[in-house]
Amino acid sequence: MAVEMDKHSLLESFSIGKGVVKPNRKVYIVEPGSIKKIFHALIEKYGYESFYLSTLIGTDLKDEGKIRLDYYVILLPEEETIVLRTHLPRENPVIDSIIDILPGALAGELETHDLLGVVFNGNPFLKRGAFVPSDLVEKGVYPLRKDSGV
Amino acid sequence: MSKVVEIPIVTTEVPIGPQHPALHEPIMLKVYAEGERVVRVEINTGYNHRGIEKLCEKNSFYRDIFIVGRVCGICNAVHANVYVRALEQILDLYPNKRAQYLRVLAMELERIHSHMLINAVMAEIIGFETLFMHIMLDREKVMKAKEILTGGRVMADYMMVGGVRRDIDEEKRSRLRDILLKLKPRVEYYKKIFEEDETITKRLIDVSRISYRDVTSHGLVGPVARASGVKIDSRASDKYDAYGEIPFNVVTRNEGDSWARMMVRWDEVLESIEMGLYILEHLPSDGNPVPDEKRLPRKFPPGEAYTRVEAPRGELTYYVMSDGKGQNPYRVKIRTPSVNNIINSGFMYLEHSLADVPVILASLDPCISCMERVTVVDLEKKTSYKVHLKDLAGGRV
Amino acid sequence: MCFHMTQVQVEEKKPEYKIVRYSPWLVHFNTGACNGCDIEVLASLTPLYDPERFGVKLAPSIRHGDILVVTGAVTKKAAERLKILYEQMPCPKFVVAVGACAVDGGVFYKSYSVVGGADKVVPVAVYIPGCPPRPEAILDGLVKLLEAIKKGEVEKHGCGDGQTQSS
Repeated sequence: MAVEMDKHSLLESFSIGKGVVKPNRKVYIVEPGSIKKIFHALIEKYGYESFYLSTLIGTDLKDEGKIRLDYYVILLPEEETIVLRTHLPRENPVIDSIIDILPGALAGELETHDLLGVVFNGNPFLKRGAFVPSDLVEKGVYPLRKDSGV
Repeated sequence: MSKVVEIPIVTTEVPIGPQHPALHEPIMLKVYAEGERVVRVEINTGYNHRGIEKLCEKNSFYRDIFIVGRVCGICNAVHANVYVRALEQILDLYPNKRAQYLRVLAMELERIHSHMLINAVMAEIIGFETLFMHIMLDREKVMKAKEILTGGRVMADYMMVGGVRRDIDEEKRSRLRDILLKLKPRVEYYKKIFEEDETITKRLIDVSRISYRDVTSHGLVGPVARASGVKIDSRASDKYDAYGEIPFNVVTRNEGDSWARMMVRWDEVLESIEMGLYILEHLPSDGNPVPDEKRLPRKFPPGEAYTRVEAPRGELTYYVMSDGKGQNPYRVKIRTPSVNNIINSGFMYLEHSLADVPVILASLDPCISCMERVTVVDLEKKTSYKVHLKDLAGGRV
Repeated sequence: MCFHMTQVQVEEKKPEYKIVRYSPWLVHFNTGACNGCDIEVLASLTPLYDPERFGVKLAPSIRHGDILVVTGAVTKKAAERLKILYEQMPCPKFVVAVGACAVDGGVFYKSYSVVGGADKVVPVAVYIPGCPPRPEAILDGLVKLLEAIKKGEVEKHGCGDGQTQSS
């Protein structure tokens, strides 16, 4: 239990806001630049065996002019789900890739890039057309954006 | 680089000539080999992309229950269940106990049939065709049970907000119980074969042994993770539906090789059979598990929910966001276990022989009905030829 | 079923179809399906349902196929593959669309990534609806196709008269 509280206070030290996703997932709102630092800190202090990245969810918040990225992390061994939430400007959604320290981020970064247009700096595997058919790629369409027209 | 092996997503022939292929078809796994040793792996995606997340934004919350059930035919009950539970979280509306028990029964029957399928396929790949036929025959019993419970052999369409679509009576309950009791000794027999038969043990033991740290740093889930000692199971951690009340064990092993991955699945089948028998024995009678459809709310309040379910292949998660402005969801995100297990598993093939590649692939439980024929490009001899996945596994390449 | 073919046309077509009518070999192709129809097609080819009494078997390669069984809502990436596969098959050849998705796209017909139905790409002779259709229904569709071939009544195919596409 004591180790779990430490992980939460580590996350709290980076967060600029908090929230909850039902049923009971704690959300830590952080700056985009903090994401890589948080993963680095978790690995340094607690090791690779202390968590895994379950999924990376991108959402187009068109009315607010932002693209929201949620990193869903499962803390081990308690298997508790927490969320690292950050917002990127919609006109230029760029963030550092974490694939060099956490290879398991590959699936999420590939998908979020192809479907929403987020650029993960430092990920050499990003390419358009990994999921989206080529006729939409040629038009430069990101299907999950609210103004994509598909 | 002497050989390049391309494992396609579809069963088709690619007309490539003796030179380097000009026509690239969407292959799932491209393996580069030096002689027999795998030195590099590329994993490609997107062939099955049907744009489901966007489609969900265009249909109402209730219609989406049928769409998400068709993401995967083999595990359609869990997809429908986790989506429906996300809606129930947003609506703050929960099913009664009988409905929860019936939901768990449907999902456990699905786990049994899916695990039997992949074990049969693994037997077929290493050349043990008789075992494949036997397991598939016993699996038909499970399909019959699914049909008795949900009305459909494959597609259950069983989940709805607030409960399930149909109830079972005493006769169905006893028929289901008979099927599970007949199935149990057969599964114990198959588990014994996998433990003792040399045809299997020689091909599976020590193949692609991965550590606890490999699993967590690559985000692998499900039986693949549990076979390396990582004790993760959404049923035990989230305790959704009736899993808080039904006793079961989370099966883990420490060997971490392909054999352990298949054995975890057999042990889980036995656990599921016990759970099924417990459910049929202790089915609560606290009311009609089928809610009144006309009473369900049409307008959804704003909110977001993230639900997880333990699909046969691993942790399956759904994120549903409602903006409260209409009848359609604002965002639905589906993360299937295969996305993590297949895309992030390239490291598992390195330094193994070509004949082990199909075995490792099958131990991850991908949608194997899509992949049968493999193209081998021999760069030294400047030839290319087609072989069956079975021939690759048999070393006849 | 009503066929407006004259006696002369039937006589001309008959010899070609003799080959198919005795032992048709199936090639199965998944164009982006959920695998529900695939496992039912797989089940219908097992001894429990005994397709071999009709002479139906899985072909070892596309060049030996007579009947192309298509499952899945044809995704755009798969559509090109389907066309190439169909063209590689030797005549006479017939296409069977199994499942609601192969018939017209099923639940996915409005998606940006889906063409919507096998008949947008290749001429389809028989449609077997269902989600997924039972193995008995799949075999029923195949038997109806074989009987229609025997009578020379199948119009939609890509061979002869320079035709490559159905209407």
